[in-house]
Amino acid sequence: MRVGVVGVGCTKFGKRDITLQELAFEAVSEALKDANLTQDQVDLSVVGCVGTRSYELMPAVPVNEYCGFSGKGPIRVEAACATGSAAVYTAYTSIVSGVVDVAVAIGVEKMTEVETSVSLAVGGRAGNYLWEFHQYGTTFPAYYAMHATAHMARYKTTEKQMALCAVKAHRNAKNNPKAHFQREISVEDVLSSRYICYPLKLYDCSPISDGAAAVVLASEKVVKELNLDAIWIDGIGFSSDTSNMTKRDGFVGLKATVDAAKMAYKMAKINPSDLDLACVHDCFTIAEIMAYEDLGFCKKGEGGRFIEEGESDFGGKIPVNTFGGLKAKGHPLAATGIAMVYEVVKQLREEAEKLQVDLKNYKALTHNVGGTGHFCWIFIFSR
Amino acid sequence: MESRELPLKHQLPISKIEKYWKGLEEGKVYKTVCSCGREYYPPQADCSFCMKETEWVEIDGVGEVEAFTVVYSVPKGFEFARSYTIAIARFGNVKVMGWTEKVKVGDKVVLKTGKDESGVWKVYFEVI
Repeated sequence: MRVGVVGVGCTKFGKRDITLQELAFEAVSEALKDANLTQDQVDLSVVGCVGTRSYELMPAVPVNEYCGFSGKGPIRVEAACATGSAAVYTAYTSIVSGVVDVAVAIGVEKMTEVETSVSLAVGGRAGNYLWEFHQYGTTFPAYYAMHATAHMARYKTTEKQMALCAVKAHRNAKNNPKAHFQREISVEDVLSSRYICYPLKLYDCSPISDGAAAVVLASEKVVKELNLDAIWIDGIGFSSDTSNMTKRDGFVGLKATVDAAKMAYKMAKINPSDLDLACVHDCFTIAEIMAYEDLGFCKKGEGGRFIEEGESDFGGKIPVNTFGGLKAKGHPLAATGIAMVYEVVKQLREEAEKLQVDLKNYKALTHNVGGTGHFCWIFIFSR
Repeated sequence: MESRELPLKHQLPISKIEKYWKGLEEGKVYKTVCSCGREYYPPQADCSFCMKETEWVEIDGVGEVEAFTVVYSVPKGFEFARSYTIAIARFGNVKVMGWTEKVKVGDKVVLKTGKDESGVWKVYFEVI
């Protein structure tokens, strides 16, 4: 059975002085309006929230109540920074199973309610607390920074190549009204910004943002009965890896991405070259470079050159993160994966305005990583 | 306005891996090895695959650095340090995380153990 995305909503990302449920409501109301459906036509609500930085420790019910879904679930899901995609998967499988016909997946995160050093200490627990954070003070930037030093040593990837990912992200985000940062930056701005974790500097890192996104999914039967406008989910891939960095084979890529990509391409029966665009998980600039390689857009080790030669920009081999990426649009953890679906749906409907990509095959991919490849979820969509 | 404070400080249950923590105090770093051939670092008392109990084996010799970073933006709990370097080095079949001084990928290191300013025992690498 096919499942279609029939409605999408996304809040403005950034520091938002509203509650978790008020934030979720903004995204849900936009998604329901977009789908031309009401709450009583939704059978199940899935609430994705990492929640570790917010005061509402068990957020699913408050979010569900405020969005008018009391009685319809909720299922709360958590998969670190890939939580949003795990919520979409849960909604998708609930429909495929035949238990429900219409499900909403909500991803919401409040990240600005605690100070930065606390946020770093929480993110640093995204691996294995006892053996990593407790002893060595790993932070989330530190995990990716270790991948960066390994990638630089093996493939001669440069800090300038990483900076180019940030410059592209900000150039695109300038035209995205939902983005946390709508301003351009230069390579020099990135290279001269202070080190957070060598070799990653301030502008190599996604910001700390609040945000929410929501999607309404429906069975093909309902899409036809109600004559809804659907973007179809053609492929899904998921994988995961060890909690401990030391138990990984290497640090120049994410195995979870490679495995999830294989699964998704196989299910959708396509190759990377069939895609018109992709949203990849660029929580740090090095993550985007590794994603090019791990998703098969270029060979292993050539990610630095791929960005340098403009292959991931408009008119390139595959435009990547035309919405500004996590880097400049923002990365409110649970919202991120669903916000990617939002951007892809806008593109495939040709509603992306100044950021619209020329479509040939009407196929796009979202790549959502949790932790440092601790989780990976990939979706392939078509119109 | 501010929320009520919720301090979270946990008791860490280390009874099954006590040998590791005692080893650090004696200058030793242990991995665990299963009769099926799998080796674990960080060590674990159970083999995740064949479900048997593992044995404790000391790690020594020379390791090679595979990745590192210098943390300048320090998280809550590490305020005692202005910055610190984390590295991962391979010792035979296992990889070990540790703190170190100036280092680069490919450097050869040996293991030391010690306590940081907050009293937590850990592995330190010495570049040779």
